[in-house]
Amino acid sequence: MAFRKDKAPVDSELSGEQAIFNKETEGLSQGQIVFRRFVRHKAAMTSVFVLASLITMVFTALETKIGPWTIPGWWKHGFEELLDLRTEGCPPGIVGCPTIDAVPSFIDGTGMGLGMHPFGQDDIGHDYFAMVMRGAQRSLYVAFVIGTLAGTIGITVGAISGYFRGWIDSVLMRFTDFIITIPSIIIGSVVGYHFGNLGVGFLAFYLGLFAWTGLSRLVRGEFLKLRELEFVDAARVAGASNRRIIFKHILPNAVGVIIVSITLLMSGAILLETALSFLGFGVVAPDVSLGSLISQFQDSFTTRPWLFWWPGLLIITIALCINFIGDGLRDAFDPRQRRRLTKKDKENAKVQARNAAANV
Amino acid sequence: MKLNRLATAAIAVAATAGLAVGLLSPANAAPKTTVSIVQSNALTGINPGVSSQNLTFNVDVAYLSGMGFTYYNNKASLVDNTAFGTYKVVSQKPYKVQYTVNKGRVWSDGTPINGIDLLLSHVTASDAYSAIAGLGDPADADVTPSFDSGGYGGLYEQFVVGLPILSADKMSVTIEYSAKVPDWRLLSPGPNAVHAMVLMALEGKTKLGTAAENMAAKERFYKVFQSYDTAALKKIGALWSKAYNINKIDSSTNPLLLVGNGPFMIKSAVPNGAVTMVRNPKYNSGPKVKALNTVVFKVIGDGTAASQALKNGEIDVYAGQPTADAVAQLKAMAPAVKIIGGDQAVYEHLDIRVGPAYGTQAPYNGPFAGMSQKAKDLRTAFLLSYPRAEIIEKIIKPINPTSQLMNSLMSFNAEPNYKELIAKSGVSKYTEGTQASRTAAALALVKKHYPDAAAGSGSVKIKLLFGQPSNTRRVSQSQLAKAEWAKAGFDVDVTPTSGWSSYLEDPKYDVAFFAWVKSAILQSGNVGTYETQANYQGYSNATIDKLYKELGASPLTAAQITAKYLQVDQELIKDAVTLPVFQHPSANGVTAKLMGVAPSPLSPNLIWNLWDWYFKN
Amino acid sequence: MFAYISRRLGVLFVILFGSSFILYNLAAISGDILESLRLSREPNAQQQIIALTRDLNLDVPPPLRYFLWLRGILGVFIGSPDFGLTRTQQPVINEILLALPATVRLVTAATIIAIVLGITIGIVTALRQYSRFDYAMTFVSFLLFSLPIFWVAVLLKEYLAIQFNNFLGDPTIPLPWLIGLSVASGIFWAAVISGTRARVFQIFGGVFALNFAFLSFLSATKWFANPSIGPIGIALLSVGVAYGVTQLSTGITNKAALKSSLAMAAIAVALYYPVQWLFAQDAKAIIYPLMVITLFVVAGVVPLKFTKIDRGPIIRTSMISAFLMGLLLVINELMQTWQPYMETDAVYFRPIPTVGQVNALLEPGNFWMSLLDALVHMFLPTLALLLISFAGYVRFSRGTLLEVLNQDYMRTARAKGLTERTVIMRHAFRNTMIPLTTIMVVDFVSIIGGAIITERIFGWIGMGTLFNQAINTYDLNLLMGVFLLTGFLAVAANLVADLLYTALDPRIRAGSGGK
Repeated sequence: MAFRKDKAPVDSELSGEQAIFNKETEGLSQGQIVFRRFVRHKAAMTSVFVLASLITMVFTALETKIGPWTIPGWWKHGFEELLDLRTEGCPPGIVGCPTIDAVPSFIDGTGMGLGMHPFGQDDIGHDYFAMVMRGAQRSLYVAFVIGTLAGTIGITVGAISGYFRGWIDSVLMRFTDFIITIPSIIIGSVVGYHFGNLGVGFLAFYLGLFAWTGLSRLVRGEFLKLRELEFVDAARVAGASNRRIIFKHILPNAVGVIIVSITLLMSGAILLETALSFLGFGVVAPDVSLGSLISQFQDSFTTRPWLFWWPGLLIITIALCINFIGDGLRDAFDPRQRRRLTKKDKENAKVQARNAAANV
Repeated sequence: MKLNRLATAAIAVAATAGLAVGLLSPANAAPKTTVSIVQSNALTGINPGVSSQNLTFNVDVAYLSGMGFTYYNNKASLVDNTAFGTYKVVSQKPYKVQYTVNKGRVWSDGTPINGIDLLLSHVTASDAYSAIAGLGDPADADVTPSFDSGGYGGLYEQFVVGLPILSADKMSVTIEYSAKVPDWRLLSPGPNAVHAMVLMALEGKTKLGTAAENMAAKERFYKVFQSYDTAALKKIGALWSKAYNINKIDSSTNPLLLVGNGPFMIKSAVPNGAVTMVRNPKYNSGPKVKALNTVVFKVIGDGTAASQALKNGEIDVYAGQPTADAVAQLKAMAPAVKIIGGDQAVYEHLDIRVGPAYGTQAPYNGPFAGMSQKAKDLRTAFLLSYPRAEIIEKIIKPINPTSQLMNSLMSFNAEPNYKELIAKSGVSKYTEGTQASRTAAALALVKKHYPDAAAGSGSVKIKLLFGQPSNTRRVSQSQLAKAEWAKAGFDVDVTPTSGWSSYLEDPKYDVAFFAWVKSAILQSGNVGTYETQANYQGYSNATIDKLYKELGASPLTAAQITAKYLQVDQELIKDAVTLPVFQHPSANGVTAKLMGVAPSPLSPNLIWNLWDWYFKN
Repeated sequence: MFAYISRRLGVLFVILFGSSFILYNLAAISGDILESLRLSREPNAQQQIIALTRDLNLDVPPPLRYFLWLRGILGVFIGSPDFGLTRTQQPVINEILLALPATVRLVTAATIIAIVLGITIGIVTALRQYSRFDYAMTFVSFLLFSLPIFWVAVLLKEYLAIQFNNFLGDPTIPLPWLIGLSVASGIFWAAVISGTRARVFQIFGGVFALNFAFLSFLSATKWFANPSIGPIGIALLSVGVAYGVTQLSTGITNKAALKSSLAMAAIAVALYYPVQWLFAQDAKAIIYPLMVITLFVVAGVVPLKFTKIDRGPIIRTSMISAFLMGLLLVINELMQTWQPYMETDAVYFRPIPTVGQVNALLEPGNFWMSLLDALVHMFLPTLALLLISFAGYVRFSRGTLLEVLNQDYMRTARAKGLTERTVIMRHAFRNTMIPLTTIMVVDFVSIIGGAIITERIFGWIGMGTLFNQAINTYDLNLLMGVFLLTGFLAVAANLVADLLYTALDPRIRAGSGGK
């Protein structure tokens, strides 16, 4: 592949861009700058919107019990409710086909609508929409728990051992090695065997306790690198405490890497749960997760594809959104990162420059 | 260069044309003689008699490479293999059976088969012989006997007396039994290539012997057997227990290990992978092989992968316990693929706990405990509201459309006495009317003891044991049932349990549904399952115990057996302790051109008549 | 440094001891080993339970049983380690030695291609940050990253094996596919090269037309039924390789490098028929290594004719070119084996398999046939693994390169007046490789133990299969055997990654020896 010279940024152009950015960020705090940058990242903002709507939809669809209170869901069926199997309107030999109709009435005359069972039904009559909603709840929950738990442990261990080095580093890193050697599938099967009844939260918790190793090594690497840089020395000379150096000087510089890793971790967690379900060690029936649905109905691929595609589609959507948000955050946090200037930006800059010149 | 290009182009065109012709006229080709069959587990050894090797696939391979006096057909009845030999009762008192090998039968190395070849099976099935010969006590929990056989402690050991006697012409063996054995036909000794074992174990041979060596080795085994020659037997035992446990077979494998008398012999085996068997050219110990020359077993653990492999033509037969979707997928492959369905000798049933399991200490105090009227009523109500028909309809029929509700615990639906049994056993109260009316009756029964019971009241709390979380079929069954039980006032906990089988005796669970696996058809049938010491439910019924003894004591006529089965069925229904549901369905996807496939419900299920298979053009 | 490594290795054994103890006990309590016997109605089920207990020492509680196992392993110090037997009486060590090569074969190919492809795309997306191509690749790589592998596998098998084999029955490409494929590649290249709108359309049109013509030609000649590159193709591709490698390695302006690469191309074409003759000879064990040695010797000597100064980079260029051209000749030979392979009874015109490592029915002995057989069996699983793992490399290399591009030394390099090629290939690319190297090491090892699902779906017998089998049958000896290897590799890989990191990046101080 040829690298075309004219596309590469050149210095003269840079200074111009830099001026625009400097102008834009005048008087703003770090947080505000990050936020502005993030908001401008189209893919990330779309993802935030999609994910937020998805989460809202998924978590309000079904009846939720919090302690003594029961919040009714907007969807008419529960995921454990057994209903009559629908056969009318289905192809011969197929039961519980989906009723969702996305074709407007002026084409096929039936009109758009969700119908009785938009995503169809499983073999014994459960409403599949309710099951997918429940599954998405569980999968998001697993992703969140694993992401948070593994993120916290990974960053803490990595930061401490990278910053302090010496025997602390040795001990922590050997402990990390120790955790790395224990396969998560064993954890899954043992937890499933002995504590299967405690539900998905327990499984997620345990997986989270074992999923932080990659992150901690990464964070440690960043810290090892950053702590040798001049600005850290400067801060130390100026008398900053370890705490301050870690949180105020090093962490913000490492945050891009960390965020990308955590988002990868979270979408990885959804896939890990899917894989465990495929091997029979994941979420325990009658509860469902997207992973358990997709592995339960993997044979349906050619016969009742909707049982396979809907949870699959949701897994992909969630994972995509999380990754894109991570991407946006990374770009936003990277202090050296520049966004591409639009024509409008350049016009504005020119106008401002002209105005400034005129004012002189 | 230009010339080259022209030449290449010309060659390419010619080749393409040739290929096109070849592709367009496959009808000229002779029918295939190679069949590829899917296997979910790998070969671990070629002697399934070893206790750790008694695995389905090992048994299949051994079945194809060795023929004995009998085999099961697809009607689950025992067929006499008259091509190999005959057996008959020669004396009633004492009870003696003579087994005779036909003259001229040979092993794959050409050695004639005679009575001496039948003797090793005594060594590997008689605890007494093992003990007398100083080979170790098979029941000892610490020391493995020289022959690490899985055959000890069975029916044969229970009845056999003394040593088998070889006839003067050495073609027959006579075995004496302590009583008339009800299932005497099952006890026929299987032939073993003892000459090969002697050559390997006692003479250290690694190549096939000459005819003279083989016969001498055979005689040597007879001497060793007769004289309880501990040292020699230990060597043979070590070989028998260890040397055959191989999963890698190729041209370097000692050919003596592969000597057999079956229609096929192993040519190669890739560890944990494919096993290739080729026709045994000297085979004359059983039905003639119609067409096949080569059989390949391919190991594919994943069901979806196997059905896609079938679709891609990599395998000719897909066998297994597929899901409804997998069956639908196979159907969609028609007409290239046909589905041959059937029932397995495995049946699902619902057992209710009555007390602590035999020999356990922890008490059972659940609602179903004991024989009080209340407990019986609640059990009856529980069984009445168990939606068996709905389970068959929704879960089983999509896999095998001919599946039916099972109503006798003693006989499968296809057996001749089934109709008589269900007409008189009293099971009709669980089949009459609709499920709604039965559930209403159940609710009435519960109300007798819990006046405030109503649909959804959850008056009686029940814990159900039924299987792994990954067993989606059982999970579906449990959820269907839970909904119906709720209508009769039961609140049933249907959480699946990993390692569920270890809780079968645990009084924490009130009810269990699972399946019994039948490996042979015995006169005592399933009665033993409900005998006091054998069942996990803590159920004890003197009548059943007595009937079990009678069924195991001496051979009975079909009518006598049916009468006893009926009594057992009646007792079980009366006490409301268990109900059968269905026979496990099987569905095999078979390439349309492959003919003769007729799966048997018993091991070796699919391949029992491999000799009859052929490809049509 | 030596002390540091030996200390780490010492700790490694302590770690393995601890985690193996924990794992052993966890696995021992993770299921019911007697399940099938409890459900058996055989008259001697009780006897079978006794035999199993005897075989596996089930009467010894797991924590103590662990030490029985450990005693065998510790035999390693007296030269005879005993990894025990599986439940079916096979030596564990044999099972592992048979499974390991399969996994390594699968994982190596997938990882190498994923790395090359991932880094290439990562670099291009970074250089074209926020372009349409960048967005498209970001989307595609995240999409692939989000796919469960058994899903990918089902789709790949349906379309690339079953349908493709059907297609081979009559290898003419239908018109809609011709158009579709050409449009797709047109869009792809237009997005990669990009530029002004007019230029994008030009590129799209050009690529579309070329593709359409090329595919039509392949379709009309039924090339897929009997593929080959042919001397013409070899000539064209070799010249292309010569230019491409020179451009990336030394820059096209380096005439000596270009000349020596072109010379290699000429040699490749001249040797087309002799090499084919050599490939058909029998004494492969001698001839093939000799051919490889000759290849590199010639590639090392020829450039000397063209230049007297700065020989290093030029020899490197010519060696890379020669290697790639040799690969072309090998591919050509494989293609020519394609038709005879399809015609064997074992394959019978359905060459792309969905399961298995080799075709059990194929007669062994023909080197090229066996190689082709192994390759077609690797095709789908490698592709599946590749698809889901390459996304990670795209993201990482893109992110790292972006960071590097913003460094001051990049600006310095440009200010010095270096060409863009030198800046990117020498300054940016090399610095990008530092963090990537360490990730690769760890990744590679983690896949060895982690290809469980891939192996299962594609019917491969590798470490993942053994692991899964061990868990499902509660086969502790087997499980521990697999664990010892994968655990050791995992920890060792981290050690290697640490060492590499310190070696490549002088800013990191070696080891953890304190301040």
